[in-house]
Formats: sequence, structure tokens, C-alpha cells
Amino acid sequence: MDFELPEGIDQIRKEIRRFGENEIEPVAKKYDREEKYPHEVMDKANEMGLLGASIPVEYGGAGYSVLETSIICEELFAIDPGIGFCIVASSFGTEAIQEFGTEDQKAEFLEPVARGEKISGAAISEPHAGSDVSSISTRAEKDGDEYVINGNKMWISNGSIGDFFVVLCQTDPDAEGRYNGFSQIIVESDRDGFEADKIKGKLGIRASDTAELIFDDVRVPEENVVGTEGMGFLQQMQFFDATRVGVAAQGVGLAKGAADRALEYAQEREQFGQPISEFQAIQHKIAEAYTDIEAARNLTYKGAWAVDQGEQITKLASMAKEYGSRVAVDVANEAVQIHGGAGYVDDFDAERFYRDAKILQIYEGTTEIQKNIIARELLGKGMS
Amino acid sequence: MKILVTVKEVAEVEDEFEISGDDIAEQYLEYDLNEWDDYAVEEAVQISEEAEDVEVVTATIGPERAEETIRMALAKGADRAVRVWDDDIESASYLDVEAKAELLAAVVEEEDPDLVLTGVQAGDESNGATGVTLAEKIGFEWAAVVNQLDLDIEGGVANVHRELEGGVEELTEVESPAVLTIQSGINEPRYASLRGIRQAQSKPLDVQTLDDIGLDADVLESPLAQTDLYEPESEGDATVWNGDAEETAGQLAEFLRDKGVVEG
Repeated sequence: MDFELPEGIDQIRKEIRRFGENEIEPVAKKYDREEKYPHEVMDKANEMGLLGASIPVEYGGAGYSVLETSIICEELFAIDPGIGFCIVASSFGTEAIQEFGTEDQKAEFLEPVARGEKISGAAISEPHAGSDVSSISTRAEKDGDEYVINGNKMWISNGSIGDFFVVLCQTDPDAEGRYNGFSQIIVESDRDGFEADKIKGKLGIRASDTAELIFDDVRVPEENVVGTEGMGFLQQMQFFDATRVGVAAQGVGLAKGAADRALEYAQEREQFGQPISEFQAIQHKIAEAYTDIEAARNLTYKGAWAVDQGEQITKLASMAKEYGSRVAVDVANEAVQIHGGAGYVDDFDAERFYRDAKILQIYEGTTEIQKNIIARELLGKGMS
Repeated sequence: MKILVTVKEVAEVEDEFEISGDDIAEQYLEYDLNEWDDYAVEEAVQISEEAEDVEVVTATIGPERAEETIRMALAKGADRAVRVWDDDIESASYLDVEAKAELLAAVVEEEDPDLVLTGVQAGDESNGATGVTLAEKIGFEWAAVVNQLDLDIEGGVANVHRELEGGVEELTEVESPAVLTIQSGINEPRYASLRGIRQAQSKPLDVQTLDDIGLDADVLESPLAQTDLYEPESEGDATVWNGDAEETAGQLAEFLRDKGVVEG
């Protein structure tokens, strides 16, 4: 048993905190209120080399492991979940290109993302296909050496600002088996027939960009297929372990950010002639919050470490994702409670963290789906 | 061309702290790269990015803990690092400016740099003397409190602006090899990039003992000893009034009247 973290982690934490204090914290409230994508912060994040952390060094990235990127994610979400999300999401979808892409695709699509010149996205969910992923109906039909794509994608991160998307399409509706006949296809946002409709009015992570994508006879060359035609769904599934651990790390960071703010406030706020941190009721809230965070962190790091070892950890990843997001929601709730009235207005960050937390129990597989998976694995049932 | 940058890890104190013996209790301390050295590192790295074949080496006197700080300088673009430390230094009662300059002089002798950059001062002890003392010891030309540097590498001349008292600036030329003590604000120190932090893990960091740099423990003897550490008592209070002149002038007048400074 060895709990040693990779070398350089302390420097990463320190430098991200410094960046966060100087460049994110002063503007976080503004971008949340205005529901605006933080292009200026992204430019600075790119200058610092914060983007494309997981992209291999040979394609211009930093080549960090799942464990290291989880810790980066944790630090960013502790500063501000909205802008933190924008930074970690700027290379969404590229994992498929890293794993299954051709050399040409890697050079063309990974390098500009690592350099911060392009923003990518992954397009899976549809208006009528959320948790039931295999019911997606966006259709890519072969026409000569091109594919013609028609359909709608929903809740797509970076949708209205992204330069290209890895889109899960149905390429063979007649394929046998629920998970066959899908393909991952790269679609550039400047293709004719591509349209993005920004979704406004989100409860939280409002600095992040979310859109509906509409494909109306969008033509892309067959070279844009990532990996093997017809295997897209199964390819996509390989990343669930890593992406779910990633959301667990978001939860750990968000909870830590909320708890740290509550701890600070409790020591400043005085009632009945003493700081409220002197009251046992408040002390217990704080003790429980930090204990839950530490438990979630260890579950997350174990999951991330196991993914890095090449293990398949379906159950552990779902446990980490479900627990990490639950801890985020609970801790953010108690953080508002500790702030009292001050936690209900935007003079303090507590209310923003409270709003931001909820999405973690919804995206990348809802809490209910995670529990289904955990139970399925425990009961020894296969996918059906 | 080789640039040596002296880098110190300094202790930073939290707002509220306690004194334990002759020092601030450890739990109130955090360690970080000295602010002025951060500017010196940035200046050196910028030179290395603008010109060909410039090696940037950092030199530190400090325990193993300081390696985290040293790696940060490497992550920002320094090529390699030297850290001087051993049991004798560890057990020295007080490392004065003279001793530090002596140790750094021995490193300079080994490295033979064209330019030595130091911070003007360190944020913890604020002697502001190590850089200049080092220059004297190694017989380099020097300029202190440099807030602008324009280097003519081929001509071996550094054109510098020096910040003097009272907002006066001196423009002067310094011939290399030279020691320049760098003032904060000369540039905008970068963040260490994720890629840089990764690469820094595999950059060379040599640990050298007194013996390695050709010195013995005598060099550590100091006529200075720290006898006490205490928080100064506040002897007066300042009152600040906010608002427009009409409002604050009245408050000031009332205050002066109350204190008996003016009558009526």
C-alpha cells in the first residue's frame, strides 16, 4: 500500500491556485451572472499551458495521466466550477481521437486543441436519448466517399463555441445487437448545414457553453470517421471509466471549494459574542464535510489510479462518480447553511457552488444510472 | 552564454501566528519562491528565449524541502539547478550574508557564468545585501536594484536602469561578467505551465556539499547571533476617514479638537 502521489503534483496544485486567485476568482461571479463563455480567461489559461493536459506530449499537450488530470480538475473546480469546467472541457471528445484516431487525425485535430487554437466537443445525447444512449437516431449515411449527417444533438458542451465535435451517429440501422451500427465521426462546425443553438437559463456552471446541435445534410469526408465504422458505441464506452472518475474529481473539488469558504466564514462571522465556529453545531457540519470530501477523494484517486494501470473498473468508476457528486451537493448545501442569509445572495460564493453542484448528479450518467451499474456488476449481470 | 540565478526559498507567515523560542512556530509558515527571485528567473528565461545558446542555472542554499521551489523555477524555463546543503550548514546557528555570499561565490567559481542575477532582497530577512556582497567576493562588476535590462550579448555589456531613492533612475552600463540584483516589476513572471512542470521533473538538480564546492565549515562561523524574536508593540494608531473632502475635513477638525491639538 503506497499513497505517494506523482512527482510535481504539489507544484501543479500551487500554480493552479495562483492562477485561480489572480485570473479566475475576480471574474467568476461576472461570467456566472452574464452566462457568458470566458474567452479572456481561456486565453490566459492557454498562455499558462493549462489546456490539453491529457493530450500526449508529441501532439503538443502535457501528457498527464488520469490521476494527474483528476487532481488538476479538483483544483480548478475548487476555485470556480463554471470556469473550471470550461478549462477541462476544452478538449472534450479528443480522447477518442487519441485512442482510435489515425496519425493524420491526431496531427490535424489534437495539436490545435493542445495549442489552445481550437476547442473540441463530444456530441452524444439527443433530445430523446439521454440515459438511453443506444436509442440515438442521428443518422450518417454513406454517399460515395462522404457521409451525410442528419439529426439533433442535445446538451452539448462547447456547442456554440466549439470548432469540431466527435459525434456519435448511427451508420447502420440494420446492425444486429443494441450497441452495434454506431460510428464516431468528426464534424467541423464550419461545415454547411451545421447549426448550434445556445441553451440559456442553466441553474449552474453558467460560464460554460451548452447548445443544441442541428445537422441538416452535413457532409463530411469518410476520413472523419474515428476508429472502426459500426464500433462507435463500444469505442465510446471505453472512456466511461475515465470520464466518470473525472466527474468524481469535479465533485471533490467543488465540495472542497464550498467547504473551505464555509470554514473561513464560520471563523469570521460572530453571533452571541463569538465566532460561529465555536458552536458545536457548526463544528460538526465542518467535520462531516471534510470527512466526506476525504472519503470521496480517496475513492476518486483509487479509480483514477486503476484506470492508469489499465484496469477496467466499471463498478468503481460508477461508485466514485455517484459518491463524489453526492458529496458535492451535500457539502455545498451545508456551506450555504453555515453562511445563513449571506449564503442566499451572491455577495459570497456559497450560493454559486450550491447551484453548480447539481449538474454533477446529472451529466455523464445520472446518479440513478450509476446505481444501476453498481448493482448490475454486484449481481453479476451483463449489459443487456 | 551562461546565466546563474540565485534562488531562495522563503518562509511566508500567516496573518496570525505564534512565536516559539527564537522563531515563528512552524505551523504558521508556508514556503515559497522568493518574490524578487521570481523576477530574476523570468528575466533570465526571457534572455534565453530571445538568444541562442543561453543556459540558465539556478543556485540555492537550502534543505531538501527547497527542491519543490527549485523545481518551480525549472518549470518556468531554467535548465538545471544546484542546491548547496549538508549537515554542517544544517547545524549552523546563523547563516549570515557573508557566509551565504561565500557559498554562492564557490558555486560561481565552479559554474563560471557570464551573468549572475539575484533578487534585490529576500522576503523573509530583507537584508538586501547578498547579491552585492557576492559581486564583491567574485570581483564582478555589479548593479543593484535593476528595473530594466537590455543585454548586448556580443558586446558583453548590460545596459541597465537602476531604481534609486526618491523615484530617481540611473541609466548605466555594466560590463560582463556581472552581478545584477533584480527589482520586482522588471517583467511579468509567468505561470509555470503544466508541460513545464512535467519537464522540470527530469531536469538535473545537483546537490552539493561544502566539500564539493571546496569549502569547509569555518566559512559558516558568524560574529552574528540571533538572540530574540518578538512582535513589536504598537505605539500609535492611524485613523483613516473615507468620503469627500467636505465630510472628512469636518471629522478631522473634530478629531484635532478632541485631542487638544487645536482649540475652539
